[in-house]
Amino acid sequence: MSAPAKQYQLLFVDDDGDFLAMIRDFFVALRENTWQIHCASSADQALEMLKTRKMDLVVSDVNMPMLDGIQFLHILNRRHPDLKKAVITANATEEKRSACLAEGAELFIEKPHTPEGLKSIFIMLEELITWTPQEGFQGVLRRVGLQDVIQMECLGRNSSILEIHNQQLHGRVYIEDGRIIHAQAGDAAGESAFYKLLSISSGEFQLQPFEPPPGRTIEGQWEFLLMEAARVRDETMAAQALAAGPVSKTEPAPAVKTSTTASDLAARVEETLICSGTGDPLYVWQCPDAQARVALLQNVAQQAVFFGQLVPLGNFDRLEIQLAGSRAVAQVRADRMVFVRVATTGENPATQTQ
Amino acid sequence: MNDTQQASLVAGAIAPGMLACGVRLPDATCRSYSFDETWPCEHLDKILHQLAETMTWLAGHGLAPHRLTWTFEQGQIFLIKRPDGALLALATQPNTVAAENVDQLAEEFFSLASGN
Repeated sequence: MSAPAKQYQLLFVDDDGDFLAMIRDFFVALRENTWQIHCASSADQALEMLKTRKMDLVVSDVNMPMLDGIQFLHILNRRHPDLKKAVITANATEEKRSACLAEGAELFIEKPHTPEGLKSIFIMLEELITWTPQEGFQGVLRRVGLQDVIQMECLGRNSSILEIHNQQLHGRVYIEDGRIIHAQAGDAAGESAFYKLLSISSGEFQLQPFEPPPGRTIEGQWEFLLMEAARVRDETMAAQALAAGPVSKTEPAPAVKTSTTASDLAARVEETLICSGTGDPLYVWQCPDAQARVALLQNVAQQAVFFGQLVPLGNFDRLEIQLAGSRAVAQVRADRMVFVRVATTGENPATQTQ
Repeated sequence: MNDTQQASLVAGAIAPGMLACGVRLPDATCRSYSFDETWPCEHLDKILHQLAETMTWLAGHGLAPHRLTWTFEQGQIFLIKRPDGALLALATQPNTVAAENVDQLAEEFFSLASGN
């Protein structure tokens, strides 16, 4: 008989009762057996609770009356130096982040607005609560998520180089004092390279001793970079599923086709590009000419506007392009444009489903 | 494609949800039919002309489509290209009989080129 799983004690401190209730409901649903959630509506109340119960992790707001989150962290650091601490705030400024990290917070995150955001925070907190520092290791991405490794390095404020490779791609992520400062993937560098590496579904990685990178191309906070990477990866998968078709002839295609597996898609996807609404590439994979694809997306966006001025069409969703042997989808949103092309076989030009 | 063939194609296109349809022949002449007052023929002509340019533009960028589907909130525009260069444009409301009939019309459009 296996030993019962350890039950972690988490204390959430926030003067927003609604947020505490939401956190309790959501996290208890996800980890009923292994997380015990405690809530305090003020720093004072939290300090009182800590006198009588040992906690594994304290998650605090910053803006609280009387004793604010930064002062609270300062006291926690003195009284409970081994306690893990995280901050979740609706007002995530760089100034507050620096102050919280200086006072010993291991994690500084912005309050989520969506269930997906809450789930991302749950994953980060779970990593933090179970994290213990390790000296040098290597692994396989299928077993340990690349995000997890980066998160651990950042949480530990380590300096290292994460080498990632599979059959198609080789890249490096440079982490200095817990900050992601540079990434390279093939010819790409910077955030696009980082997102590309984080989109790899299988491969191997190795942590190497830190050495200065050839350049510093990334400045963002690692928490947001990881969240953005997850978003880019999800969008890529959704767009690839959309392009993979076939879909219903009468209804707009669903965002994600559940019948198409990731490995099926990976085998069929021939190129992918995601760029910002202004055309800055965020993720490029196997595009023969990324700039040409950006131009195509911009052209599509312009034409959609032109058509909409002539006849009542409502918001534009996507353009599907059927080619000999492949199918492409160009999706245009205000903040993001996506182009995906997947291989198709044996389709009749006259009867391809929409 | 003669007038009888066009008439046959248009007759087949008439279905609930069809907004407009049009044919652009290889010599660039257009013939449009409107089934909805918000889709006047002259506007469909403009769209057809623009779509023909798009086909050429895409081909110039390494993508030579034989079919485009533009999906909007309130309508879909289908463009089908025949090997002889003729284009068939169909504008439908989404989730309607007309949208379901697009494949059938495309087959008919292809068969007209082969003289069946």
